Amino acid sequence: TRLADGTPRRSIQLSNIVEQRIFDNNEIISTPKRSRSKLADDADYTPKKSTHKSPGRPRRMSTTGTSTKQKEDAPMTPSQKMKKIRAGELSPSMEQRHQQLDVGHKSQLQLAREQLHVSVVPKSLPCREKEFDNIYSFLEGKIQDQCGGCMYVSGVPGTGKTATVTGVIRTLQRLVEQDKLPAFEFLEINGMRLTEPRQAYVQIYKQLTGKTVSWEHAHSLLEKRFTTPAPRRLTTVLLVDELDILCNRRQDVVYNLLDWPTKSAAHLVVVTIANTMDLPERLLMGKVTSRLGLTRLTFQPYTHKQLQEIVTARLAGSEAFKGEAVQLVARKVAAVSGDARRALDICRRATEIADTGSEPTANAATKCVTMLHVQQALGEMIASAKVQAIKNCSRMEQIFLQAVAAEVTRTGVEETMFHGVYTQIETIATFMGVALPAPGRALNICSKLGAERLIICEHSRNDLFQKILLNVSPDDIHYALRVEGN
Amino acid sequence: MEQICAALEPQFPCREIAITTLGELIGDCEEAYPPVIYVFGHSGTGKTTLINSFLKQCQKQQKVRIAQLNAIECYTTKIMIENVLDSLAVQQSPADNMLEFVEQLRCLHTAETHGFLIAIDNAERLRDMDANVLPVLMRLQQITSLNVCVLLLSQLPFEKYYNKTGLSEIITLHLGQYNKAETLRILSTDFDQVRQQLLQQQSQEQQQQQRLDICEAAMTPDFYNNYLNLFLSVFYKACRDVPELRLTARKCFGIYMEPVLDGSVECTDVSRLWRHIAGPLRAALTQIYMRIEKPLLGETVMEDQSVRKLAQSLELPYYGKYLLIAAFLASHNSAKQDKRLFVKHHGKQRKRMQTVNARAKNAEKMSTTLGPKSFSIDRLLAIFYAILDEKVGLTCNLLSQISTLVHLKLLSFVSGEQNIMDGSAKLQCTVGLEFVLYIGKVVGFNVRQYLCDFM
Repeated sequence: TRLADGTPRRSIQLSNIVEQRIFDNNEIISTPKRSRSKLADDADYTPKKSTHKSPGRPRRMSTTGTSTKQKEDAPMTPSQKMKKIRAGELSPSMEQRHQQLDVGHKSQLQLAREQLHVSVVPKSLPCREKEFDNIYSFLEGKIQDQCGGCMYVSGVPGTGKTATVTGVIRTLQRLVEQDKLPAFEFLEINGMRLTEPRQAYVQIYKQLTGKTVSWEHAHSLLEKRFTTPAPRRLTTVLLVDELDILCNRRQDVVYNLLDWPTKSAAHLVVVTIANTMDLPERLLMGKVTSRLGLTRLTFQPYTHKQLQEIVTARLAGSEAFKGEAVQLVARKVAAVSGDARRALDICRRATEIADTGSEPTANAATKCVTMLHVQQALGEMIASAKVQAIKNCSRMEQIFLQAVAAEVTRTGVEETMFHGVYTQIETIATFMGVALPAPGRALNICSKLGAERLIICEHSRNDLFQKILLNVSPDDIHYALRVEGN
Repeated sequence: MEQICAALEPQFPCREIAITTLGELIGDCEEAYPPVIYVFGHSGTGKTTLINSFLKQCQKQQKVRIAQLNAIECYTTKIMIENVLDSLAVQQSPADNMLEFVEQLRCLHTAETHGFLIAIDNAERLRDMDANVLPVLMRLQQITSLNVCVLLLSQLPFEKYYNKTGLSEIITLHLGQYNKAETLRILSTDFDQVRQQLLQQQSQEQQQQQRLDICEAAMTPDFYNNYLNLFLSVFYKACRDVPELRLTARKCFGIYMEPVLDGSVECTDVSRLWRHIAGPLRAALTQIYMRIEKPLLGETVMEDQSVRKLAQSLELPYYGKYLLIAAFLASHNSAKQDKRLFVKHHGKQRKRMQTVNARAKNAEKMSTTLGPKSFSIDRLLAIFYAILDEKVGLTCNLLSQISTLVHLKLLSFVSGEQNIMDGSAKLQCTVGLEFVLYIGKVVGFNVRQYLCDFM
């Protein structure tokens, strides 16, 4: 009868009770949930044990006959599923393709494109040998000595920080397999993958045990693990990527992550990665900075020679690229950022252009990326879209932009008022001999440019007195309109 | 469409073009509506009445559901959504946000309705609502894939609606103000009603049969048009709001009619009638938009007395009056002059060319016309003690009178309302010169004597 009058929600709760009985031997039917959850959260509670209890299942199930059947062949209820996911008993899987992709003979350019993909990390990173040695000696020493420590790795994006660190870890793990090094555990968190700094505890605990618990609980369990000494504790290496995201106002998460290595029982080595070199001094509190220590490593941006080496190392053996084409990419990218990802992206785009751009009669095997293709790819990826946008504006919008720039030069202040701009429009329109738009029309133009973010403007309700800021540089406007004029 | 236009045209004279345009846009529910129509024009040009009757006609003659609402009533989005759903749907479940609103509208696909029309009055309020309201309403057709048209009614041009993310293009329909001939035509449609009313009034009063006869004889359309001509010659320059003109015209017609009914003036003698009505019309012009029931004669004396009446009716305590005067003096004299005005032995003041020039320059900018300046409470009390002859202790009763004056809106805070105690609060006096002069007269204090403007 309890089943019959139950609303859908109720029935889910019922199945929860059933589930409790399934998974837990020691409970009687009317046990409140609390005590059970305490048991489940216990550190020793492993999936192994729950499977061990399975023999007791049929006897218990017989008391609630209807749901037993449901349990055996019907799919799990959502709460059961969630429980299994949280306990780490179900591993997340992705749907497979129905049939494998037919991979025929790949052309030279296709092979090059695959090799150039950012996700294909080479076995050994070229041009980062010194940094590799540095991190390797640090981590190896810490693991050999069975003590904890911190390291801070910084560098602008795309300079191979994470790749180098994971490369070092992989080398160390290989050494462990060959029994040349004591075993160690490797944990990894990324600040950007966390919705909230405190979720870091949850992730770390999940990587240790496979179970998902709330952050408060995970924190207390980790605290217990790292502060109480245990014999035969393995050294744990924790890689913290995007450290600056983990810094909230209280900085409790960062503090904890850097405080655990100082405990003698922890055997924890923390490697932190961030972009800014002076992050500890600028953002972190004094006590956190002091715990971070002075073991630091900075990855310099790649020079053009290094970038060239990286690209040629990836293209090893292939003649898809002309040497000077690679050099051009390397020089252009090194001049801007020294970002290896960008260089690879541009190279890949160049192969695509070479693929489509060349005439179909040419032999596919002899297709080659030349300077012109690279030039085109660079034009696409480096040239600002704003100039293109200004070029494709309507005539009146261009006049409006010119007027804003003229008003900025006249007043010398960045911020202009609409009425000032409108007077400039009057002048420019008279010079060009075009009909003057009515102020209402000019407001429409203004709002359109504001929506395209070529200018920054206020709501049009304060019409004549709305403030207008130029969002592109005046040089861009002159450049875009001069080139068009020719 | 033709039927709708035909039904509306006699009801709305001089709006044939607008009705035709509307008919072309939303007259036929079998055709696709434009997503949004923006109707704008001054107040009293018939936007709301025209659109509302148009929608009613659409509903009557076609399979259309309509919703009419006023954006002022919808102070939250939820109210607006509920109003629209209430009028559009027969049965509805509650919708909390725009997403649910759109979802519910999507479910309205039925065979028996072909179109949905939503008219929103005072659409300028939509700008102050949530940022998504106006964009969603403007793209409602696209989002719901219904044959729906949103009519926005407002007095502002659409240029005042653009937000930072831009809005799509829109069909605008402008209802201009009526010109003089059109106004005359619209007002003359009243004739039958006014005549009926007048005859009824005369027969009720049961006076001489003679008056009724005159009335019947005199009330011709020509006579009424003549009157309206005179009326508009006074009013049209100041006011073009048709409902307001209609109201005032009816009110003044009785006065216009009076000499004719008395038999003192022939109904054809326009110039003498004008002489009688000109005064009351001008008096009525000053009362336009004010719904007051007063005789229209002898208006000019009234205004002078209204301030005095108010000052009389306001019974402030003795010190309160002095405080108010002190506040007025503090507001309208600069602090530099305080020493000369209120301190007995301030020494001799040298007349320097500079000050004379400065004063001459400011002669046309009297501080009484520029408006009050702010002053601190310390200065107010200092002036209060200076102008009061007797000695009085600074008690809490005295200080509480300042706050009473603020409550009565005779004084107002300009800044620092929270920190009165540390002395950074600034006050302003909000009453006019007339008022203070009168209060000064009551307590026997010459205010003019202490005002820099009058020295």
